[in-house]
Amino acid sequence: MNAPGPDTTLVDTLIDCREAARTYGRGENAVVAVHGATCQVRSGDRIAIMGPSGSGKSTLLHLMAGLERPTSGKIGWPALGRPATARDIGVVFQSPSLIPALDVVENAALPLVLSGTSESEARRRALSALDAVGVADLADKLPEELSGGQAQRVAVARVLALRPRVVLADEPTGALDRATGRHVVDVLLDTAAELGAALVVTTHDSTVGERLTERWPMHEGRLVATAPAPAASGPRTAPRARPNATRGETSETRGETS
Amino acid sequence: MTTTSTAAARADGATALDATELYRFFRTGEEETLALRGVSLHVQRGETVAVVGPSGSGKSTLLACLAGLDEPAGGSVHVGGERISHRPEAQRARLRARRIGVLLQSGNLIAHLDVRENIRLAQAAAGRRRGAASDIAALLDGVGLRGRAHALPHELAGGELARAGLAVALANDPDVLLADEPTGELDGRTERRVLDLLKSRADAGRGVLVVTHNTEVVGFADRVLVLRDGRIQP
Amino acid sequence: MIITWLSGLVRRRSGRLLAAALGISLAVALVAALGSFLTASKSTMTDRAVRSVAVGWQVQVQPGAKPASVLHTVRSAPGTRTALPVGFAHSTGFHARTGGSTQSTGPGVVLGLPPGYRTAFPGEIRQLTGSASGVLIAQQTAANLHVAPGDTVTIGRPGGGPAHVKVAGVVDLPQADSLFQKVGAPPQTQPTAPPDNVILLPAAQFTRTTAPIKAADPAAVTTQIHVARDARLPADPAAAYTAVTGAAHNTEARTAGGGLVGDNLGAALDSARQDALYAQILFLFLGVPGAVLAALLTAAVAGAGADRRRREQALLRTRGLGLRQIAGLAVTEAAAVGVTGGLLGLGIAAGVGRAAFGTASFGSTATSAVGWFALALLLGLVIAAVAVLVPAVRDLRQGTVAEARRVVGRAGTPRWMKFYPDLLLLALSYFVFRASSSNNYSLVLAPEGVPTISVSYWAFLGPALLWLGSALLLWRLVTLTLAHGRRPLARLVRPLTGTLAGTTAASLSRQRRPLARAVVLLALALSFAVSTASFNSTYRQQAEVDARLTNGADVTVTESPGSHAGPSAAHPLAAIPGVRHVEPLQHRFAYVGADLQDLYGVRPSTITSATSLQNAYFSGGSAKSLMSKLATRPDSLLVSEETVKDFQLAPGDTLKLRLQDARTKTFHTVPFHYAGVVKEFPTAPRDSFFVANAGYIAKTTGSNAVGTFLVDTGGGNQKAVATRLRHQLGTTAKVTDITQTRSAVGSSLTSVDLSGLTRIELAFAVLLAAGAGGIVLALGLAERRRTFAIATVLGATRRQMKGLVFSEAAVLTAAGLAGGALIGWALTQMLVKVLTGVFDPPPDTVAVPWPYLALTLTAALAAIVGAALSGVRRSSRPAVEELREL
Repeated sequence: MNAPGPDTTLVDTLIDCREAARTYGRGENAVVAVHGATCQVRSGDRIAIMGPSGSGKSTLLHLMAGLERPTSGKIGWPALGRPATARDIGVVFQSPSLIPALDVVENAALPLVLSGTSESEARRRALSALDAVGVADLADKLPEELSGGQAQRVAVARVLALRPRVVLADEPTGALDRATGRHVVDVLLDTAAELGAALVVTTHDSTVGERLTERWPMHEGRLVATAPAPAASGPRTAPRARPNATRGETSETRGETS
Repeated sequence: MTTTSTAAARADGATALDATELYRFFRTGEEETLALRGVSLHVQRGETVAVVGPSGSGKSTLLACLAGLDEPAGGSVHVGGERISHRPEAQRARLRARRIGVLLQSGNLIAHLDVRENIRLAQAAAGRRRGAASDIAALLDGVGLRGRAHALPHELAGGELARAGLAVALANDPDVLLADEPTGELDGRTERRVLDLLKSRADAGRGVLVVTHNTEVVGFADRVLVLRDGRIQP
Repeated sequence: MIITWLSGLVRRRSGRLLAAALGISLAVALVAALGSFLTASKSTMTDRAVRSVAVGWQVQVQPGAKPASVLHTVRSAPGTRTALPVGFAHSTGFHARTGGSTQSTGPGVVLGLPPGYRTAFPGEIRQLTGSASGVLIAQQTAANLHVAPGDTVTIGRPGGGPAHVKVAGVVDLPQADSLFQKVGAPPQTQPTAPPDNVILLPAAQFTRTTAPIKAADPAAVTTQIHVARDARLPADPAAAYTAVTGAAHNTEARTAGGGLVGDNLGAALDSARQDALYAQILFLFLGVPGAVLAALLTAAVAGAGADRRRREQALLRTRGLGLRQIAGLAVTEAAAVGVTGGLLGLGIAAGVGRAAFGTASFGSTATSAVGWFALALLLGLVIAAVAVLVPAVRDLRQGTVAEARRVVGRAGTPRWMKFYPDLLLLALSYFVFRASSSNNYSLVLAPEGVPTISVSYWAFLGPALLWLGSALLLWRLVTLTLAHGRRPLARLVRPLTGTLAGTTAASLSRQRRPLARAVVLLALALSFAVSTASFNSTYRQQAEVDARLTNGADVTVTESPGSHAGPSAAHPLAAIPGVRHVEPLQHRFAYVGADLQDLYGVRPSTITSATSLQNAYFSGGSAKSLMSKLATRPDSLLVSEETVKDFQLAPGDTLKLRLQDARTKTFHTVPFHYAGVVKEFPTAPRDSFFVANAGYIAKTTGSNAVGTFLVDTGGGNQKAVATRLRHQLGTTAKVTDITQTRSAVGSSLTSVDLSGLTRIELAFAVLLAAGAGGIVLALGLAERRRTFAIATVLGATRRQMKGLVFSEAAVLTAAGLAGGALIGWALTQMLVKVLTGVFDPPPDTVAVPWPYLALTLTAALAAIVGAALSGVRRSSRPAVEELREL
């Protein structure tokens, strides 16, 4: 799973972006957030999308998650089906994204319940996920009673409970102090390892980027082809290095869901 | 009495901010927590001081007390030689308006006013005459937002929002700028830029105090104080 | 600074400002409309009262005074338009010989009319047949004497021989009661009925004819000066009354005892001012809650932005704005909202006025309309201040910015609940209600000898406390249910939410504070609609009952006294098109002891097919049971309460009445059994009377003569049927229809026609109910946009979002409807009891206007569903954008 060769099978490609672009607004006010981005995410990938604020990395992440539609180009999830369901892709947001009227365990269980799991089962899995990220003792708290780091860990537990095949995290450490941030990255990496899921993180913090195997620099809405990363992950540090992937976008093939 | 006389002695113009023996309690239900346990610190004019500490160490409470937003249970705070603690709110407000600039991690702008209107509001609070359009332009230039004067807060990107907040915080030309995690959500380049702006503030003879956990910020400060469990570590 | 702030608000928060302004506009429009309508209807009451009297004053020239000098004084009094002397003389009786037989009447009255009298006082004399000038004879007298124009009548003169006059025309004297009043006598000593026998002579002939009478007894011929007034009267009946009575006293003083003023105008205005007070009570009872409700709605709208406002205030304080400056900003906002809402409200009011009455000012004078509009505008500003300004200033009072910034923690029990104000208010309401609805209680106070009357405002307290108390109780119940009933709640919402039920219930439970507030607001609005509408329709029902009670039936044919028409005379009447049923009702007189009372003989089995008998008319049994008692035991007798008391009657007692036998013309004793009490009966007078079985009376008196025919037209066409009947019957009988009676009840509230007031109120109640349901839910959903966005991002399907939103809507609707129906029911019961004085007779049952309530319900539901659907649609907006904006 973590030895993807140049002729990786279709099934292994979880996310496939083809010249995917996103523009906000119209006419004179139009702002291009992402210029046609072409990239792929495969099982076992640990990717950091690096760039300054406003470089479009969050938008790219949202496109990958299927939360926004590209204004041009295409995005497919060859191994996940189309469109990707929230069950397969777990997202950790930059801003606090817990529902204020639900307590911690209910928040963590929510995606499972939404995808049809019974409430008791969802609760059980949420509790074990909270335990895994070390916040089980907060289960009965309300979001407003949590600190920023705690809230972010709960958000990670929410993804973990879902057992998705891709974890996307948008600036997960942005609002945290260094120690807390490091811990959250630890939890993300552990989670991805345990689930066997791909992990994509956007960050402007190079110390976070260094902890992942691939770094995709992004600048003014463009993925920049850079020199190969120090990590030994084959020749595909630059996303454009995979031009001949199949048009998986039309494929209905699903990987086995966990 | 001794603390007051020390403060008075320092009120010679060299000290921008002076806090002595600050105590602050919080009561949540039956629990009582001590957020500040005798914090003393001072910021000289032309100096940049960073206060670092893990989350929950009392940083935000300290900042609120220093800015006259919160009232310490014990101790005193002087800004530019004037006492701001233990005074009626109206007087504290006047001191805040004239002498203090506050930059928060987020929520620095009134949502229904554009950038320029936000700055104008802060200037009006400080009692400045309207029509200082050149001032506003200069402020916006300073933070690199010249073209965004008429943008509403929700139309700004994260970095722009932080810089706009800084412009508003500086609108009253304060003696001391208090910044709470000002670069928390910024990327390296924007962060650098904001820090440079803070630095130039200090160079202009004002005091700057930054509360942060960011090492970059720590590196740029003249002096670093570590806050842990409501105390400044020696 | 203020301009910057305000222009920012106006440009970028227009929706919220407008919503608050709309709430205010409702309150303003309601008050402006109702107030203008109130003034307009008050002035209508005055107009009607003035128009209802044919002769404003009747100045009785006192013995010894010179008529000419009194006449001169009265003529020169300010406000006198015309003053004419009318002669009064008593005759021993009238006789006429027609068709070979001679008819005689008892003592009669001869009037002397000066030239121009009928033009000056057109309402006093109504021409029936013959010439309008010359000798006129009253219709009843003509019937008694069997004379027609051209016949000769002999006038018996005390102290002189008979005089012969030739009848030129037959007339009716519609206002005989006041015409023949004993001027200056207190009401108790006034004659019970006007004289039956009246002849009117031209003044010259009168002087000639009555000269012998005068010679024998100068006091037997008197002069009254009839006055038509044209002084401008205030529009308000109470003020008009004061002005008129003052002028009357003044005139009496000027004549220096030579004249006594019979103030017909004052008497009419006196009853009008009481009616005006009742109208005012209704205005307060019905208008104030509406305005309060609109204010609450505004507060809810304004309160929805509380979190943001607190954040903004904290930021402003951080920037060094003083409390006063921040308060200044809040004042600006409140003023903007208040003025916008106020002007909008006045526009709505003017529009409603134009739609309902054709004028913007509801028919009232421009100045009073301006007054009310100004008052309403002021009210709008006050509401804005309370709803927008007060919370802002309250937040500011928190000592430090840090405290202000802190978010409110877990939703505990609201503090007020610990003090049980709800139960306290309800208990208080009960006691006030008991006290105010006890015996001898009257809503309008008219103390003896005091010229002003006033309203007992205590009466308002009961319903007001009930409204408040039950609203708070509902609040408590909803809060407790949501807090502790999570499990049943989950079961309830499961059909809507499926597997999400538990989560939804948890979320609803934690949002119990805003949800309970919304439920209470909806319930208050609905209860307002329910109680207002039920009260109004009960009122209308009773007004109809009153008219029916007075007139007897749709159309009533009253035979002339002495007519012997039997029940068979009903057949030709029944043949007239439009007549459904004709019910004969005997009218006799009977002596009980020395007291002469009216006796009505009914056919118990068919009486209700022409008129309605309410249970409230009787005591000691329902209308139905007492009628069947009359049927099964024909000698049963229903008597008045007074008679029961006077004769110490117990059910089953024998009561002997003396009735006139038609064959012997003598009175003989007929035994009856006391069977029950009758308080009111169609066509019967207010005071004592009997009701018995017609068959039994016919048998015991040897005559089946019918006094009155009650004609049922099926509830419509009364006027046309009455005209046809009149045409057929000529002058032999008097025909009245219910529409005539309705307006003849004078300037009473019935005729003021509450329908204007009702229409305005009911329209506002619908708006308020819809607004409460829709706006409150929409605001709640808007506050949770972030929650919905997060849920969408986490994979909630549209269906699941719908479930979430509609669960909330369902809880709001169910609790709001149940609460509103209950509170509305209780309030209606209390209102009807407290306002008993308005009802005459008091109602058996409260009339519930189901179609209107259905309309209100539909409007509220439509608003709720609309808000919910728009909530769902909003939640399907790109969630990420939503998240970023928030």
